[in-house]
Amino acid sequence: MNNLYEVLEICLQDIEQGADIDTVLFRYPELADELRPILEASANAKNLAIPAPSVEVVRRNRTRVLQHAAQLRQAKVKPSRRIWFASLRRVAVTLVVIAALFISGTNLVRAASTTLPGDNLYPVKRTWEDVLLLFTFNSQQREALEVEHENERHHELRELFAEGRSEDVDFSGMVTSQNGNEWVVAGVPVVISAQTELRDAPIVIGSAVRVKGETRGDGIVLAERIRLLDSDAKLPDLDDDHDDEDKGHEGENEQEGDNSGKGSGDEEPKVEETEEPDSDSEQEDESSNSGSDSSNSGSGSEDNDNSGSSDDDNSRDSGDDNSHDSGDDSGGSNSGSGGDGAEDDD
Amino acid sequence: MITFTRNDILKTYVQNFFGSTLGRGAVQTTSAYDERRALDGLRSLDSQAIGAIYDQYFSEVYRYIRYRINDDTAAEDIASDVFVRLLEAVQKRQGPQSSLKGWLIATAAHAVNDHLRRQYRRPVEVLSDSLPDHGASVHSEVDARERNRLVQSAYAQLTAEQQHVLALRFGQGYSVEETAAHLKKNINAVKALQFRALASLQRQIGEVNYE
Repeated sequence: MNNLYEVLEICLQDIEQGADIDTVLFRYPELADELRPILEASANAKNLAIPAPSVEVVRRNRTRVLQHAAQLRQAKVKPSRRIWFASLRRVAVTLVVIAALFISGTNLVRAASTTLPGDNLYPVKRTWEDVLLLFTFNSQQREALEVEHENERHHELRELFAEGRSEDVDFSGMVTSQNGNEWVVAGVPVVISAQTELRDAPIVIGSAVRVKGETRGDGIVLAERIRLLDSDAKLPDLDDDHDDEDKGHEGENEQEGDNSGKGSGDEEPKVEETEEPDSDSEQEDESSNSGSDSSNSGSGSEDNDNSGSSDDDNSRDSGDDNSHDSGDDSGGSNSGSGGDGAEDDD
Repeated sequence: MITFTRNDILKTYVQNFFGSTLGRGAVQTTSAYDERRALDGLRSLDSQAIGAIYDQYFSEVYRYIRYRINDDTAAEDIASDVFVRLLEAVQKRQGPQSSLKGWLIATAAHAVNDHLRRQYRRPVEVLSDSLPDHGASVHSEVDARERNRLVQSAYAQLTAEQQHVLALRFGQGYSVEETAAHLKKNINAVKALQFRALASLQRQIGEVNYE
């Protein structure tokens, strides 16, 4: 059978070369009958062959194929360009927004940093402080920041007093004097009224409190609410301020009573200052204070400890003298501590 | 002054791509290097490369398709569609790996089979005017037309594989070796298939003639 297929192929090749069917079959008489119809069929099959397409057909379909290629090219390029442009635009817009926010935010915070309560940008200042606290994770740094913020509240108070402005304020500090409705909290005279909300009782001298109230032109704060703070609450570090301001004045406290009234002796003198108007002598003060004596004396001793270096020399001299000296100092300083304190700062 | 027409440039490009041009039934001499360059041009959708490939192969592809289906318009559409498929396949990295012409003819065969399947479901009588003009008289031309219609009807009765081998061998004029390469069969198998296809065609001609 393979021979038949081979002979057919030879015959086809011969016919391709120009031979006719009879001629090629003459060489294979034993297969002629079988091959003849096959070779005739091959002639018919060959007659079906189609000539090359016309130029018009070629041109028409060439255009179609090239147009499709152009579409593919566009589809290939467009998305990548579009994505690239879109992503570039997104990045650019983001950068611009970030830059605008950063610049405006920085300027805003900078502008707000010197504002006082009641100013339009003051909320920005307080918010920025909260943000700083929020992102300060180191506990020591956080505490230092809280103290710094409390110091800033007192600085704002002094500014308001100096400008004679009446604004809502809040600040914290230790109660250093309680004379009826007139308290002194961290060196700031606070007036208690009937409307003052005193939820946490009892508040005694030495208690850490937060005062919310309104400044008055005469240098006092009219309290709206006084809240007792925890023992570990961060209070303003007034000693530092004082040290900074009164460097070189140590040892001159007695001579420069007005200046020394603030600072290390700040709290102690005020305790006695409020008492002094009633009586010049300390003993009389104690007797007149009656119920609050113990706390006063207690706080007095604490105050001595706290008052620090300015009174250390005095305490070395004698205990009695110390009390007198400090009393005298406080007398001098006290007289100025309310108003002078503010004036000194100015 | 020497001027180059667009066709001259294209011809040069094609020659650069494929070496010598191919005549009908000639064995393609495209080297593997040229094939790779052609495929690179296709991948980058280079118009010049695409045009060169089209010019090189369209005629062969069209003749194969037109041989298998007796419809000029459909053959034209299918032939250009084969090149569109080539572009899309190359973009998807599914194009020809070894032989560009082999891929085109195989794709054309699949496209024709699909077309014939659709046509089988919805048969359409097609009249074609593109019969070969051998310069014969009107009578002989009519006879030739009738004869061709008869053969085409018989051819349409063959299996797809038989049609395929006859289209390659007698429509395209490929050698047994080249046909074997396209069919991915050995030469003896192609010779046997060719024999059976011709025998079947002759039988079908007889049957159609009898009817």
